[in-house]
Amino acid sequence: MVEPDIWWLLPLTISLLIGAICPATGALLITQRRVLLANLMAHSVLPGLVVALAIGIDPSIGGLISGLLGALVAERLNRRFKGREEGAMNTVLAGFTALGVLLVPLLDARVDLETILFGDLLAANTTDLLRTAFAAGALLAMLIWGYRDLVFVGIDPEGAAIAKRPVLLIRLICSLITALVVISAITAVGVILVIGLLCAPVLMHVERSRSLKELMLRSASTGLLLCGGGMMLAIAVDLPPGPLIGTLCLALLFTYRANTTEQR
Amino acid sequence: MTHCHHGVCKTTRGPSQAAKRLMNESLSVLSTTELSFSYGEHNTVDRVNLQLQAGTLTALVGPNGAGKSTLLHLLEGRLKPSQGTVNSNKPIGLMPQRAAIDWSFPITARDMVRLGAPRKGKTTAADHCDQLLERVGIGAMGSQRLNQLSGGQQQRVLLARALMQQTEILLLDEPCSAIDPPTREHLLKVMRDQAEAGQTLLVSSHDWGSALDSYDQVVVMDGQILANGSPDTVREKLSDLTCMMGSSCCG
Repeated sequence: MVEPDIWWLLPLTISLLIGAICPATGALLITQRRVLLANLMAHSVLPGLVVALAIGIDPSIGGLISGLLGALVAERLNRRFKGREEGAMNTVLAGFTALGVLLVPLLDARVDLETILFGDLLAANTTDLLRTAFAAGALLAMLIWGYRDLVFVGIDPEGAAIAKRPVLLIRLICSLITALVVISAITAVGVILVIGLLCAPVLMHVERSRSLKELMLRSASTGLLLCGGGMMLAIAVDLPPGPLIGTLCLALLFTYRANTTEQR
Repeated sequence: MTHCHHGVCKTTRGPSQAAKRLMNESLSVLSTTELSFSYGEHNTVDRVNLQLQAGTLTALVGPNGAGKSTLLHLLEGRLKPSQGTVNSNKPIGLMPQRAAIDWSFPITARDMVRLGAPRKGKTTAADHCDQLLERVGIGAMGSQRLNQLSGGQQQRVLLARALMQQTEILLLDEPCSAIDPPTREHLLKVMRDQAEAGQTLLVSSHDWGSALDSYDQVVVMDGQILANGSPDTVREKLSDLTCMMGSSCCG
């Protein structure tokens, strides 16, 4: 008796999970105007991942520490360069990426940089699934705990602080969840392309949604289709799933834009 | 300016006025003593002495950069004074300037108002926010997204959210900016009703004109307090002040 060939089930499950949690997290980031910080964190995980792999610990631990460190460095520099934050943040982004690349030969780490930068869903394993499920659980827990505060901080951070809401704690937890989601998404799309998955589905729905919850659900649905469809298409045409999903994000956004312009 | 500063000195340092001030302070729900705040070397708020009586509507008038918003944030406690004290044991709410809000955020007017509610009593909050939207004149627009509302309607939502806080003292930062006269009249009436119901309101404004008659007390400031008293008392000094500040009556 021949066993069914279901090798694709694990990568598909991971891609669907990532397709849901990346845009849901992106909805928080876009409404809090923290997308640049998220992109910075996505790149900042690289040195931590390399170090973790070099010393043989779970890469998500190294990536998490490194991602948060990147955010912290950026915040310090932003204070010094007030009004020119974009320049400071992009410098940190480039610096952490460069450091990660340099660490590979320096630590003689057995790291496939291409996989980290652009993802490789087809090489995903059970640990990747567990990591993604953990990120999804953490995101869900944060939403249950502090949804109202997330809305308040997004729409009126000063008002939230005046109302004695824990603004700093919320932002810290948000950064932590972002780092977790980004690390889990590396399997699918890599640190370079994750920003497309965080943003594109949200941009499609942000003007029509009447609540943050609705925006997150709509964006997650689109992300599911993008990642699920991208993964299946990648298998069918024998192309790497990460770059294909990244390209689909742009194509979908462009098509959406063209259609909504025509409707006006 | 010297003349106006002397005007303040007369009201705060003369012996008979000192007794009056002590009496006022004992009746006031919010007062400040020599309150100062500086960004760098420049004193944005300079030795401000202020008393607000319970159940009154007070206008805080001054040009851009006069320190009105800074004073409100000092009173609310968000900023720490460099000198002086704020005396109040009542909860203080604040309606921010419209520039502080991200109007493109995906949220309905009703949910925005609900954000102002204390964390306890969710059921009451849901009922109460519909009543407040009705009071500010946009009861039918509760399910509209914020960015679908006009500037005046958005100001009404902000006022409703501020009222939702149910604090005894409410500070309002430019609630009547960039709105048409009928909307301004309506918002002033809502604020007047609140004062008559016992709430103490301090409203910052650029408005020098006839709208000042709606207030019990008018405080004119430009860093320091230049005039303080009833609308009629303050209006007597306004011609000098408007010339000095290069502003015109707009009421």
